[in-house]
Amino acid sequence: MLDKKLERILCAVQKPGRYTGGELNSVVKDKSKVDIRYAFCFPDTYEIGMSHLGMKILYSLANAREDTWCERVFAPWTDMEQQMRENGVPLYGLESGDPIREFDLLGFTLQYELSFSNVLNMLDLAGLPVRSSDRTSLTPIVAAGGPCVCNSEPIAPFVDLCMLGEGEEVTNDLIDLLKKHKKLGSDKQTFLREAAQIEGIYVPSLYDVTYHEDGTVQTVTARDGAPATVKKRIVSDLDTMFCPDSFVVPSIEVVHDRTTTEIFRGCIRGCRFCQAGFLYRPIREKSPDVINAQCKSICDATGYDEISLCSLSSSDYSRMEELIRKLIAWTDDEKINVALPSLRADNFPRELMEKLAGVRRSSLTFAPEAGTQRLRDAINKNVTQEEVLHTAKQAFSGGWTAVKLYFMIGLPTETDEDVQGIADLAQKVVDAYYANPDKPKGKSVTVSVSTASFVPKPFTPFQWEPQDDTETILRKQALLKDSVHTRKVSLSCHHSDTSFLEAVFARGDRRLSEVLETAWRKGCRFDGWEDQFRFDLWQEAFAECGLDMAFYANRRRDFDEVFPWDHLDYGVSKAYLRRENEKAHKSETTPHCRLRCGGCGADKLNGGKCDARCQTVD
Amino acid sequence: MRAVRLWIKKEGRAKYISHLDMNRCFTRAVRRAGLNLWYTEGFNPHPYLCFLAPLSLGQESDGEPLDIRIEDDMTDGEILRRMNAVLPEGIRVVRVHDAIAKASEIAYASYTILLETDSAHDAESFASQAKTLLDSGELYAEKLGKQGRKKVTKQVSICEKMRTYAVRCQGDAVRMEVVLNAGNDMLNPTLLVDALQKAIGMNPFVSIRRTGFFKADMQTFA
Repeated sequence: MLDKKLERILCAVQKPGRYTGGELNSVVKDKSKVDIRYAFCFPDTYEIGMSHLGMKILYSLANAREDTWCERVFAPWTDMEQQMRENGVPLYGLESGDPIREFDLLGFTLQYELSFSNVLNMLDLAGLPVRSSDRTSLTPIVAAGGPCVCNSEPIAPFVDLCMLGEGEEVTNDLIDLLKKHKKLGSDKQTFLREAAQIEGIYVPSLYDVTYHEDGTVQTVTARDGAPATVKKRIVSDLDTMFCPDSFVVPSIEVVHDRTTTEIFRGCIRGCRFCQAGFLYRPIREKSPDVINAQCKSICDATGYDEISLCSLSSSDYSRMEELIRKLIAWTDDEKINVALPSLRADNFPRELMEKLAGVRRSSLTFAPEAGTQRLRDAINKNVTQEEVLHTAKQAFSGGWTAVKLYFMIGLPTETDEDVQGIADLAQKVVDAYYANPDKPKGKSVTVSVSTASFVPKPFTPFQWEPQDDTETILRKQALLKDSVHTRKVSLSCHHSDTSFLEAVFARGDRRLSEVLETAWRKGCRFDGWEDQFRFDLWQEAFAECGLDMAFYANRRRDFDEVFPWDHLDYGVSKAYLRRENEKAHKSETTPHCRLRCGGCGADKLNGGKCDARCQTVD
Repeated sequence: MRAVRLWIKKEGRAKYISHLDMNRCFTRAVRRAGLNLWYTEGFNPHPYLCFLAPLSLGQESDGEPLDIRIEDDMTDGEILRRMNAVLPEGIRVVRVHDAIAKASEIAYASYTILLETDSAHDAESFASQAKTLLDSGELYAEKLGKQGRKKVTKQVSICEKMRTYAVRCQGDAVRMEVVLNAGNDMLNPTLLVDALQKAIGMNPFVSIRRTGFFKADMQTFA
């Protein structure tokens, strides 16, 4: 039951269902019978967080332990925040309604650089000091995980520790250790020193950073026995790995509301702009029987009528046909749809597509990412124009009249010709529609072109590259607009200062923490939401802290520069990334991992095993 | 194919689930319960499932009529048992029977409205002023409506859409039992409460619960 103070607040906010808890399959335990109370915190709205598979996995995993009660916490929207502050309601766990400052462990997942300000805001709403050094008692320990901890330096002073890589094993190790030290009555420092010995745990306060006069990092030195480099954790065998057999079913509509199961981790493609493609290596596949059983159990427990098979590039799953056959053996009868996101245009057989009966689609989406073959080669997006046109033609003869094309602007080595190439490719898709003899009569085609701004990220071959400055991006967008000569092509360009700030924080150092705290105190939060983003406040914060955004976003870095994230090891070696960078500048492609192993080095995380290599075709 | 009417009790945290989300919630619950639902035969087949009278966000109910169509001959008791085994907190099936009376026969709905004030004195004051206002027959609310495409504010006469009312004090709270128009010319009880609060100038904590449905002749709708 909710208390009256909260009920009164809920009457005054939009979508109160975000804040009530009580959803089907949410876990309620007796708090007197658990040792560790864990708040899994997602620093964005309920609708986004409840769509996130990682949270579902770790929530179930922690609650599978008898000694732990894990609850969910999301960032309250601004209307709720205002009500909570005015009425003195601290941030609470959705399952118990208890304030999370009384919990033992707060785990934030960092999916996006622009959610950093929400982390600070949530700590503050919980009634906790935002800086790790000001939280002196053992609990609550504030931990962070997710892709953005691959460069956690900008948030380093606010969190007590980071979990690098996959959370299934390290979460258990961390809970065990915290339980032990809570019983011993240890102080926080003792606990953190010991936590730093667990593989995959990075304790930023045990690392001292010095800087050169030009502002680049000089050294990062480990103290108190912490390892010089921290290696990310991975799970070796996905078939025996913990996987939830049910999901919490949200009572209100969320972004992705369906059964989701991973089919493999890692990616064989090596698109050079894509951080996930390097961060989640090596390749490990789950077997069709395991996936099938997991889907069945989750569908039974939730009543979902849609299954989404999740991976970075679903058509690269080596046993897809076998899996689809197993799934449709029961999903057809139960009227369940099977969806495959992240399909590539180049290698998915049409026959298989048709087996996924009942998949409703209004339009077809491709992501060629770049307008010319030369630039697609440079970014190693191995899709050719012929492949795009071929698939588009097939779609048109199947009755589709709308195609979406996704591109990036500002990719390394991009010239004006590459930008105009985007318009050319879109025009060719339009032409392909009219060349089709059995096109539907009286119907026009719509080709929607969306462009985003390229953001260079750590642990990619483009980590050394500058981001185009705003002026250049705007000029290129104008050029693209002028190159489109038909109303059949609708163009939408996203750049905004959000991509710029994302680039600053993606490759930022520890000094940015000052800026982050200053900007948050000025009122920045939900920076990823265009309607909340306050670039003026961010500019003020940078000016007050004496730091330059262009230094982080728009500067070409030397190959021998020490990066703020160099003491973190994600398996993929810097030498390999450098080779890939040099190939990009020569517009040379790298074949995908199954054709030839590129020697990225990630296999060492898995005892030299990589599922891509054992399937290498010679 | 059989048309079945389920009566759904909705209370506690579940009152924050909106009408559309209730539809989604039951589509899933019915699947979990293993009922063999009849699917529509259009281009996009979907299970037939219909709440006869939308309930506003934040209101509770003793029983909301939900019509479904099922393919097998499961008994009413079996449907009730299976559904209640899989429904989330705050939502229960209280009755199941064949759907016979049409939704259009719903003419009135009854509500219990609890207004919690700070003291017994406040409650008495609120109750007596409310009675005076309702007895006068002159209580109006403003409601956003449309005139063609234009958005306009419309004046709604509360008393014209209210069939009966009773107001009494209960400690620090005022308890109102009202019967309001339902169906086409329905009156949302929040409009009544807002109008009273505005006219009286007090802001008690409000709980609203729908307690029943009636036909034009005030026979219970079932």
